[in-house]
Amino acid sequence: MKYILLLSVVFLSACSTPVYHPTAILSSEVFDELPNWYDDRLGLQLQGNNHYPSGAHGSLLQQADQAFSQNNLQNCQIYLERAQRIATRDAGIYVRLSYLYWLQEKSSQALQTARRALSVVGQDELAKQEIQRLIEAIQKN
Amino acid sequence: MKKVVESKFKRYLGWFFKLSLVGLVIFTVLMAYLDAKVRDKFEGKRWALPAKVFARPMELYSGLALKPKYLIQELEQIGYQRVPNVQTPGQYMVDGNEIDIYRRYVRLYDGEEVAARIHIRFDSAVISGLWVDGVPTEIARLEPLLIGGIYPKHNEDRLLIQLEDAPDLLLKTLVGVEDRDFYDHWGISPKGIARALMVNVQKGGLVQGGSTLTQQLVKNFFLTRERSLQRKAVEALMALLVEFHYDKDEILEAYLNEVYLGQSGRRAIHGFGLASQFYFGKHIKNLSAPEIATLVGMVKGPSVYNPKRKPENAMARRNVVLGVMQGQSLITPYEYKAWSMRELDVVQYTQYQRIEYPAFLDLVRRQLRSDYQEQDLTSEGLRIYTSLDPIIQRSAEQAVKKRLEDIERDFRLEKNGLQGAMVVASTESGEVEAVVGDRNPRYFGFNRALDAKRSIGSLAKPAVYLTALRGDQYNFVTPIDDAPIKVAGANGQVWEPQNYDHKSHGIVPLYQAMAKSLNQATARLGLNVGLSNVVSTFSDLGVERKLPAYPSIVLGAFELSPFNVAQMYQTIAASGFKTPLKAIRAVTTSKGDLLSRYGYEVKQTIKTEPAYLIQKAMQQVVKMGTARFLNSQFDKNLNLAGKTGTSDSQRDSWFTGFSGDKLAVVWVGRDDNKTMPITGAGGALRIWAHTFKDLPLKPLFPLPTENIVEHWVDVETGAISQENCPGVMKFPFINGKTPVQTTDCQSKPGKAWWSKLFGE
Repeated sequence: MKYILLLSVVFLSACSTPVYHPTAILSSEVFDELPNWYDDRLGLQLQGNNHYPSGAHGSLLQQADQAFSQNNLQNCQIYLERAQRIATRDAGIYVRLSYLYWLQEKSSQALQTARRALSVVGQDELAKQEIQRLIEAIQKN
Repeated sequence: MKKVVESKFKRYLGWFFKLSLVGLVIFTVLMAYLDAKVRDKFEGKRWALPAKVFARPMELYSGLALKPKYLIQELEQIGYQRVPNVQTPGQYMVDGNEIDIYRRYVRLYDGEEVAARIHIRFDSAVISGLWVDGVPTEIARLEPLLIGGIYPKHNEDRLLIQLEDAPDLLLKTLVGVEDRDFYDHWGISPKGIARALMVNVQKGGLVQGGSTLTQQLVKNFFLTRERSLQRKAVEALMALLVEFHYDKDEILEAYLNEVYLGQSGRRAIHGFGLASQFYFGKHIKNLSAPEIATLVGMVKGPSVYNPKRKPENAMARRNVVLGVMQGQSLITPYEYKAWSMRELDVVQYTQYQRIEYPAFLDLVRRQLRSDYQEQDLTSEGLRIYTSLDPIIQRSAEQAVKKRLEDIERDFRLEKNGLQGAMVVASTESGEVEAVVGDRNPRYFGFNRALDAKRSIGSLAKPAVYLTALRGDQYNFVTPIDDAPIKVAGANGQVWEPQNYDHKSHGIVPLYQAMAKSLNQATARLGLNVGLSNVVSTFSDLGVERKLPAYPSIVLGAFELSPFNVAQMYQTIAASGFKTPLKAIRAVTTSKGDLLSRYGYEVKQTIKTEPAYLIQKAMQQVVKMGTARFLNSQFDKNLNLAGKTGTSDSQRDSWFTGFSGDKLAVVWVGRDDNKTMPITGAGGALRIWAHTFKDLPLKPLFPLPTENIVEHWVDVETGAISQENCPGVMKFPFINGKTPVQTTDCQSKPGKAWWSKLFGE
């Protein structure tokens, strides 16, 4: 419940431009479907209380999240792509990219990118479950 | 009699009046036409500005594997000056294992980077510390290298300037040398013409023109170089019209931007803005007096007085101009004397004296075609940001050139008979980082990387093995019969492939058949899995052309370009996730407003598990197969994967290889399709190795999933065995597709067949 509340705050503050949002995303049952982004290793670390990887790509992820929180999805994506060039197999990058595509109603690209996240996530079972839930959420919408 | 004369006079007067009237009408129409032409040009867009194409901006961060020499190379290419003490933007200094850069301000498609001091510490070939303006920083970017332009047909290039950008001394010198009555005449200068006439009569030939700056501008803008009275008359009329409509400053500014000042390959250097960068590596504001004299001197004859090509002529002419400057009290006699002795100080290597990358630019242009019209690309001054990595590009160019020369020397082949092409891309992002389309990398012509459709030979085999591993029947140790095979075609012809060594190897496990590139085993496997399935796999990998389901396609008897092959192998290198290869990141207007961006796109076309297995198989090709030469050249921990390819009768030599981050495809062959004395391993593979031997690569770790299991297998029988048993190797399998048979240790002592075969 705590996570859902936090997530709601994040969405309401970060996603204030309705044009980008799939309409379904605002309904409460979709929130239930969303992955728990507050996992230590994955997710949109918008509140700054998560662990960013050290170094350049962590810094770029942080900037991407800042851009996201300012609803600047384009810059967010650019930061993520810069991070991807440095850390090609960081699942967190692909999860964020997937989420961005989803918000822009590019469901097919969102789904494929989430699958890419799943393929690079490694043996982290919790993270896998998170991504799997993202995939299911995208597929449902 | 008197009446007759009067009548005649009146008639003539009438005719004269009528003719004058007609002449006046014609003149008025002509003037109206010329006036419209002049105003259209001056008030519309005066110049077609070619799109400027940039390489990727270099990203610097702690942990980046980067040899200092490559950073220095990049800095030199983007026009930074090495100095003992860094003081202004555009300078850098090297102090032991530290480099200090004063970055210039740069605007990129995703924001700007302010001018700042970047301090970098290296620990051998890795950045170990980074500071920006004294503050420890995670990441910093340099400005990107300008790698070329997309020019209109006349190939004019210019950097537009405003009049206030030009130093006062330049304006005064230009007027003093070219048209000293500029501020007094109305477009044509009778005094200037008379002066030129006198000089020409004295010298007995045409040595001085009487054209004003306005006339010169009109000639360049509207007219041809033809020397005729008619053209001179039109030029004079248009010059009058220009002066009538526009003030002197506007005319002078147009002249500064229009004037032709030399040639750089196919690119015509126009305007003082670009010329000051091209010849002196400086902004026009920062030109010194002798540099101004050199450039103004060039106006008279850009080829004859080109300071790069004809320095003696240019120096003599510069000194003449310095003399004029002194005569007009623009400089002192002392300065004249001192500056007349100076070298020209032309820079040989600046951002604007650029190396062009024709094959890469060709790719950029083609990829832009879907979104932009040719006219927009050649006239709007667009800024195109690409993924070209100049360091990799240079290494690839050198490798292609050197290896082809070596082969020709070693095999005593005719010089320059061989050709080569190469494509380098990022495995994950699909960004193209280098393209070589000719052994002469500066050649603007046939681009083999994109357009040479050549038989791919054994590069097709991984698709056959992947087809098998995608199905239910095959795993790595499934026995395949490498025995003679004949297939009758519809027209009665018989297809009977041979192995490279003209031997058959009998029953071999699947992974060995691929590692050793066995033709007969592959042909049999391809037929068994079904040609239509093989064709589907090619399509899933990104081969766009429709392939015929002929048996010979399993051995690569069809043509693809190196770029097509790179797309195919990108999908394999990215574990089955196809990302369209792209060379462009973004396009902005000339002012920096974002027009379009080309972001990451991906589609899974091959399941992760078979993609994992085929990567492992390709690692075996490097470890113990036809590409094992790489083992002697690279750290084994890189776990490189690759595949050699040689087409029928050795007409094409191919190699594709990838690490954890880079994929490269190399082709070597002849344009006349004649045979060569080299295979894929002898030609293309060596170029791949030469390209990357000095560049950092990330190790390749194929990504297993929970559906991948590993077993120790008795390689002779293909049965599951145990660790420490003789003749066993560990193999990955897709869960549910493991060998059915098992065996115990005792029953199979001795060396396995693969050890006998390969001596390992």
